[in-house]
Amino acid sequence: MAVPRARLLSLMKAQCEIFSTTYNPDGIRMGNKILRQRLRGPSLAKYYPPKGPSLNELLKDFKHLELEGVNEEFEDWQEHIAGFVSTRATMGF
Amino acid sequence: MSMFRSKKMDIGSFLNIHVIRDHTKRKVYAQFEPERQALRHIIRNTTLPARTRAEAQLQLTQMHCYTRPTQIRGRCLMGGKGRGIFRDFKLSRYNFRMQALEGNLPGVRKASW
Repeated sequence: MAVPRARLLSLMKAQCEIFSTTYNPDGIRMGNKILRQRLRGPSLAKYYPPKGPSLNELLKDFKHLELEGVNEEFEDWQEHIAGFVSTRATMGF
Repeated sequence: MSMFRSKKMDIGSFLNIHVIRDHTKRKVYAQFEPERQALRHIIRNTTLPARTRAEAQLQLTQMHCYTRPTQIRGRCLMGGKGRGIFRDFKLSRYNFRMQALEGNLPGVRKASW
């Protein structure tokens, strides 16, 4: 039993209204497939893990709980600089 | 390009210039993606006048290369290498092997039969 085309088209129109898609019986290229795509940017931008807090920041954050520690790397660096400055001073720069 | 680069480093993985560059490209792409998709929609919409579509084509090609998704490349989180990356683990094949042998990757074991 053949169904008239007009009836099929009206069915298609009703379907499009219900599922909120574009009614396009002639198959004209309207670029809607671009609009249907999800945005990939946010997931792509999360590829690299975010930076965690540094040791100095952690020490500062936990100071009010009376938890204290020593950032050895930082202090070694400070000593190195102090030594460097004093040797320069003795050499007369 | 350095104008897009964040002033303070916000990633905690292995760092070299290639990783920084790729991270910048990812952020720039995320920022400009709606604009690119809108232009792509105009270009592919045959119901619009030809002039509008041609202008949209020009505009899309003249956007900065950092806003293109093809510029983004998977890089190794541990070594920054750009080739031979396992997408599921974000590691290059050598680092993947080392981590897998150490047992740091859950569910991965050396094949043996």
